[in-house]
Amino acid sequence: MDIDMPTDDSKISTRGHALGRLVRRPEAGSLLGMLIVFTFFAILGGPIFMAAPGFSSWLNTAAEIGIIALPVGLLMIAGELDISVGSVIPASSLTVAIISGHFDQPEIIGILAGLGVGLLVGFLNGYLVTRTTIPSLIVTIGTMFGIMGLTLGLTVLIVGSTGVFIVPDPVTKALLGTFVGGMFQVTMFWWAAFIVAVFYLLHISPWGNWIYALGGDRESARNAGIPTARLTIGLFMLSGFAAAFVGVAQVLTYQSAQVASGQAFIFNSIMCVVIGGVLLTGGSGSVIGIVIGTVTFAIVNQGIFFSGLDPNIGSIIIGALLLVAVMSNDAFRQMALAFAARKK
Amino acid sequence: MKLKRYLVASAVLAIGASAAYADGANIFVVGGKPDDPFWSIVKKGAEDAGLVVEAQGGSVTWLGPQNYDNLGVDAAELIRQAIDQGADAVVGPNWVPEAMNPAFDAVVAAGIPLVIYNAGGIEAADQLGAMNYVGSNDYKGGVAGGEYLGNAGNLNGVCINTLPGAANIEAFCNGFVEGMTNVGGQGSVLPLPATSFGSATAVAQAVRAHLLQNPDINAVFTIGNVDANSAVSGVAQAGRTGQVQVCGINFDESILNNIEQGTQACAIDQQGYHQGYLAVSILNGYVNYGLTVPTREILTGPGIIDGSNVGATLAGVKAGTR
Repeated sequence: MDIDMPTDDSKISTRGHALGRLVRRPEAGSLLGMLIVFTFFAILGGPIFMAAPGFSSWLNTAAEIGIIALPVGLLMIAGELDISVGSVIPASSLTVAIISGHFDQPEIIGILAGLGVGLLVGFLNGYLVTRTTIPSLIVTIGTMFGIMGLTLGLTVLIVGSTGVFIVPDPVTKALLGTFVGGMFQVTMFWWAAFIVAVFYLLHISPWGNWIYALGGDRESARNAGIPTARLTIGLFMLSGFAAAFVGVAQVLTYQSAQVASGQAFIFNSIMCVVIGGVLLTGGSGSVIGIVIGTVTFAIVNQGIFFSGLDPNIGSIIIGALLLVAVMSNDAFRQMALAFAARKK
Repeated sequence: MKLKRYLVASAVLAIGASAAYADGANIFVVGGKPDDPFWSIVKKGAEDAGLVVEAQGGSVTWLGPQNYDNLGVDAAELIRQAIDQGADAVVGPNWVPEAMNPAFDAVVAAGIPLVIYNAGGIEAADQLGAMNYVGSNDYKGGVAGGEYLGNAGNLNGVCINTLPGAANIEAFCNGFVEGMTNVGGQGSVLPLPATSFGSATAVAQAVRAHLLQNPDINAVFTIGNVDANSAVSGVAQAGRTGQVQVCGINFDESILNNIEQGTQACAIDQQGYHQGYLAVSILNGYVNYGLTVPTREILTGPGIIDGSNVGATLAGVKAGTR
């Protein structure tokens, strides 16, 4: 059904008003949510939240989660989940720190090895998901614990402690771990690059329609000649790579890698994707939606500290936001479908 | 098919490794996640004491939760596991008394010698009927940090609580507020939502946002070593390096570097290595030979590490014992 959506869209677009078209875009609900959240915290947070420190505060947070949320979103559109990102982050951080910090090898080797760890875990995830009938949720929970244990075991074996330190050279630090103007983490430019790349992949290249088809109906997708196994493995490798990239950026920013970091990214990335209007069952969603979801999530997370609200209730607001976002996305989807049906 | 065979082989291996029981004292130590930087030091202490235990025919088993999402209940479950696995002695922290006390009661009821360590204090040990308490006094640790920063002239402090609800963390923060007040300053607590635990960026951004919104604050207190690094970054991003002093519970190599360079004022050490080492040693001596330690409440902290003694601490960090 989702596969013939584009033809429906084009039918409507020749008839509907511009505003009506905008409202019926799947991202409309997420965009509205983001604006409401931003206005809410802008009023409570005052001038500091509206100035550069406020913007950089949630942009820094959004950039790291956003880089991971994009490929996780692609996977969810394709009907899969990736939990293992949470352990890929420390695994790649520590790979960099151990190779370039502990053993003093050139940083480029450490960084390539760190990114390689992500690709490898992604390949393993994709391979297991396509070769077995185990749901990706379970597969990636399994690899998450596996990688977590390997990271801990190898780090303690090699270094003798669970924290490893590195003093990056100025060029690497400037590219991956610096704060522009003392407050804007350089990661956000990388996030922008990821957005452009994933946008091209999903909305312009032919791969995009294959991803939607995969989430719509895997069986028909394969019958239609789509290389489903290769595509799935590729998507998992992309999310492994993105998580590893964040790990690399973190170790160069904070100059230390800890075995225990990264767990928060698992649910945070899924939340960003869902707030952005991606269907948990697959087949529907967009890059713009995922970006909006990430920004919304980051604004709420950081806005609480600017707002003067009791931080104890912070988690309640985040939880409530998620539920409201999903409900409003559903409402907008219903509206759009009802409208399309009426038009016919 | 091939894959399946590998899985079976590794499962058998795991069972073989965990079934090494012997005649001496089988001591079960309940603690934090083994990949937690602080707890890996406690674990090293327990394991080093375990060398003697093993030489005398016993064993030391570390039981830690997979995550801290449901800390009290998970830890209580681990304590019961220790009883079920036939422990001769149990070491455990009293993190969340409400959830964990019934499990500790079960240990004592089964006649198994118990030492409370790391969290709870001698009061908890007395109340539960444990042999002893080995650890620092968390509240005093917070007080020491508050007084240190206050005496340095930073009289408006905030404690960053990244694990709201855990008894020892609350004590750090309450002690910090008390210490600040003792020297004529004022203190507050900033609890962070669960979405930021384990993410350095989230903690750094929270510290920074709080400092921007509350420009009067000139002292930050953190409850763990990962958080201290994040707090130092948050202070720098807020453009307040030098004006806002950071002090924190626990330390590692990068914190010591920060103390050397002056971006962090001090670290409160509870000497986790000794917590694991002494608790296991006391129980091993008691189970095997009836040895007792008359000193009750064995304090391993708080000690303050600042610019004056930072050099002496670095060797321990390299060895994984500090």
